[in-house]
Amino acid sequence: MQEEGVISESNLASFDELFENYKSATSLTRGEKAQKIMGQLDTWCGTLQGIREVYQRIPDLTEAGIFKGGPWEHPDKLVPQLVNGTYKSGHPNSTIELLSELRMLALLEGEIAGSEEQQEEADSYLQEVLVHNLEFVFNEPQEETRLAMSAHELTKVHALFQFILEKIELSKVKSKLVEELTLICEQRPVVTEKQRRIIALVKEKIELNPDDPADMELLAFQRVIYKPSPGVAGKDHLAYGKALNRMKIETLEEEASALGNSMLQFGLVSTYQAVLLVHLVKKDYQELIPVCLGLNPTGLARFNEFKDFVCFLILQVIHPFNAQCIFGLAKMLENGIISREAVRSGLFNLTKITVHPEVARRILKSTRTPHEKVTPKQYLIGALFRILGQPLGVGQGNNPTCQSARGISMWSQHAPAKLIHMVQTAAVYDNLSFRFEGQEISYSTTPAGLVQNLDHHLDAVSVTLVPMLDRVYNEMMRRASGRGEDPHKWVNPGLYGQWIQIGFASAYDYLSNAIVDFDGFVRVFYTMCHPRFNGGHRLVYPNPVGIFITSAKGEMLGFHAVSLLRVDEDPSGVVRAYFLNPNNEGRQDWGQEIKPSVYGKGEIHGESSLPIYQFAARVYAFHYNNLEAASKMETIPQKEVDKVRKLAKDSWGKSYTWLEIKKQW
Amino acid sequence: MGWSLPVIESMQKLNKPYVVVSYPDFEEYAKEHSIPFVSYAFNEWSDSSNSLDLKVKLDAFGADVAVPLFEETVEWAGALNSLYRDDPRVLNRAFLFRNKAMMKRKALIGGLRVGLFEEVYNKEGVKNFMNRLNQANLQIDGEEDSWVHIKPFASAGTVGHRLLRSQSDIDTKCQDDEFPCLAESHLPGREFSCEAFIHGGKIRFMNITEYVKLGYSNFIPEGNYLHTKREKILKEMQKLVDLFGIQYGMIHPEWFLTENDELSFGEVACRIPGGHILELCGQAYGFDALAAFVMCHDPELTEEELQQLLPPLDARPETFYGNVMIYPHKNQISKLVIPEELKEESYFLDHNLVPPLSSQKISDREGFGNHFGTVNFKGEDPDRMTELLLHYENVDFYH
Repeated sequence: MQEEGVISESNLASFDELFENYKSATSLTRGEKAQKIMGQLDTWCGTLQGIREVYQRIPDLTEAGIFKGGPWEHPDKLVPQLVNGTYKSGHPNSTIELLSELRMLALLEGEIAGSEEQQEEADSYLQEVLVHNLEFVFNEPQEETRLAMSAHELTKVHALFQFILEKIELSKVKSKLVEELTLICEQRPVVTEKQRRIIALVKEKIELNPDDPADMELLAFQRVIYKPSPGVAGKDHLAYGKALNRMKIETLEEEASALGNSMLQFGLVSTYQAVLLVHLVKKDYQELIPVCLGLNPTGLARFNEFKDFVCFLILQVIHPFNAQCIFGLAKMLENGIISREAVRSGLFNLTKITVHPEVARRILKSTRTPHEKVTPKQYLIGALFRILGQPLGVGQGNNPTCQSARGISMWSQHAPAKLIHMVQTAAVYDNLSFRFEGQEISYSTTPAGLVQNLDHHLDAVSVTLVPMLDRVYNEMMRRASGRGEDPHKWVNPGLYGQWIQIGFASAYDYLSNAIVDFDGFVRVFYTMCHPRFNGGHRLVYPNPVGIFITSAKGEMLGFHAVSLLRVDEDPSGVVRAYFLNPNNEGRQDWGQEIKPSVYGKGEIHGESSLPIYQFAARVYAFHYNNLEAASKMETIPQKEVDKVRKLAKDSWGKSYTWLEIKKQW
Repeated sequence: MGWSLPVIESMQKLNKPYVVVSYPDFEEYAKEHSIPFVSYAFNEWSDSSNSLDLKVKLDAFGADVAVPLFEETVEWAGALNSLYRDDPRVLNRAFLFRNKAMMKRKALIGGLRVGLFEEVYNKEGVKNFMNRLNQANLQIDGEEDSWVHIKPFASAGTVGHRLLRSQSDIDTKCQDDEFPCLAESHLPGREFSCEAFIHGGKIRFMNITEYVKLGYSNFIPEGNYLHTKREKILKEMQKLVDLFGIQYGMIHPEWFLTENDELSFGEVACRIPGGHILELCGQAYGFDALAAFVMCHDPELTEEELQQLLPPLDARPETFYGNVMIYPHKNQISKLVIPEELKEESYFLDHNLVPPLSSQKISDREGFGNHFGTVNFKGEDPDRMTELLLHYENVDFYH
């Protein structure tokens, strides 16, 4: 029998024939001939042995110019974040991408000549690619990957990463894993699936050494899930539940304190904590409940005030397989939302509803491993705890629904009872209505919005509301278009509510199809939010801001919706814009050295931040107080305006005509 | 005449002077890549767009031979060559290639075996034709109708070709706007094509392409059985060349061979054949078939050059090259799936399949429709090649 994965003589010869044809071709037909080579190589890649054969040929293929003229030409311009998506797009792109990774490896290993610096770059590139492709490294594709990729494509990419793993120092990847986990956890996202998966994968596949510093950090992440307290050692949550019955109050206190602290470390909750919390409520250990919830003094005071109601909610909602919402509940107590009568009534009402079967289906689909003992309603209320407790942790998932995510986050902070009521209506009737300019817009009677296929990697509240909000938003946009101005001027207050300021500034002018009076635009922006120029005022409500998304090279990619939350000095004295980016990605690079930070620069969990002038250089629309701006505009130094203008003009600005006429703001 | 990057590349390698004539769309690319180019709207014929006008434009390049690459440039090349060779019949001959009824009549006059055929102008005409065919075949009540093929006069390959198996087929498969057409009786037998490279009225090289399944798969050179008929085929081919009066270029007729060794003429074209035939032919015989195709049109070509360009007339390669064109089997597809077995297939050479756009809907097939790509094989055994091609025709690459 043939050894597994050995490529037959005739296939090897076929490659040689195709490669000769390629080399003798001129630039006119090279693309077509390269495609044929890819077709042959693609079939080799299902096994490690096949990848080895490809790897041996990489220096020759590179030398012959197989990457020339395409997006993979320059190794130093490749973006690790794009690799995953390219693999999902299938052959031939996935095959070229695979060759590109092997070229990096060959560069690192000295099979392809390169400077020390290039080797270094190849090394960090590959590590970063590994971190972004853990699903392939461990061959545990996410559901969407599974849907997008054929079995062959999955085997192929898995074989590649196995091959790379063989060649790359794992310890270096470990520190990237720590960084990745930190970047995710510091944002305290509402959906914790990704970090949990990484932690689980590391536990399963990588041997950790408690004496290695990088390993210690990884072990810290593991502990919060698998061994958050002394009492859980060697037990699953069921055994732990039984053990609790035999524990004395001192031991229970130790457990509660350990679990509470463990949760606060990364915002991750273990199944054990749910078991303990429910146990404490059922056995009426009232003074231990706030300990178990890890509450600060404010939270403790609120707990004591609404003890009965909180215990009621815990018994209604908390379950070992719905445990993550404990963190949300704790934060809800701390941020004071629970003090509002309307919020408590809304939550109480929610416990009494019957969830519409269609909504229940969406909720269960969004839950990675739905548990039979947890009802869709419990998942829904649990998700609502998380959203109310962590309003800045709301994400859009892999959906073009930044508008809806931004809205949910905004209501959660400033109109929580309205949000709860929306959730209730949507969950019971699978329908939702908005008033817009005196008319009603109803989900059930409007055509489809931006989302064709909702990515269900979302929390239960988002899967309930977003399909509806998206359609309603789209319908508002339709009704407000054709007025010669950006429809968001009317849609933002229509969708989000009346606290959105009346004034609306847009850098883009619809009638002249150009960027008009950008200097004036920047000045209005600074008077709206910069404390040095607006009279030292703080922002009151989140400001829905439209921004240009640019690539790492500063090229215009598209539009995005964020909320500007506050403008403040960071610990080093730099004035920064702190904003909510529903994109939940901590590693963005918008070109021109503009890289939003997610922690370490004075951010509250969930905020992104940029120096104010960098942020201003990507803004194209925002709301402001139109009675106030004109009087303050001239106080902003021209130098500051010029700085913003240059960044804007050299990036997205290249896609537009610029007109220098002044306009009335 | 016509835009083809592989042909341009072959011309560059030959180092012969050339100029490409094609639609204005290609002008920018040509300029960018320093390809001599004359932009011309082949689909327009008027006082300002005609062969005399085009000739003036081409005179600047010193052109003296026109080579049609595609069906729609055949008359244009014919007209130009008539002028270059000062022979009006060259143009008439081009018309012959563009009218399927005319070419059949010509073949019939010359004594080639053809099926019964007729020009039809509407569905009624097809029905009458089928009735007369049934009569001639002595149909008894209740027996199946005789099969009838219809093809638009001037379409390339399988475009607009429909097989009608019954009177009711005529109503369901024929569209009123597809007329006039050539209707012809179904020719029994094994179908194959020939590519004859002609210079000075003589066949200088002849390839036989074995059709495993029309519109799906073929391989080159011909398999062992067809090879035993090569002499007979060559003779019929020369007859066709003489009859049509072809002096220079390449012709690509389709033939049917019955079990009792009778050859029937199907149709003939004088452009680059579809199905990547010249590509396979070049690989199997080890020559630049596209360069040879172009150069055979040049009356000035020397004997020495001819011998350099073409394989010997009696060449018989040992390696067979075949391909199968891949069509989706479903109406809605979302991904490309390369079957496991292909990875272990030692005959597999390459493929150029690409994944569909997300959830692509497949439009109804015109002729045989547009294939999504081609899978190529090479190997020593023509019987195994046949098996493989038949097999992969039914493998679903798109899910």
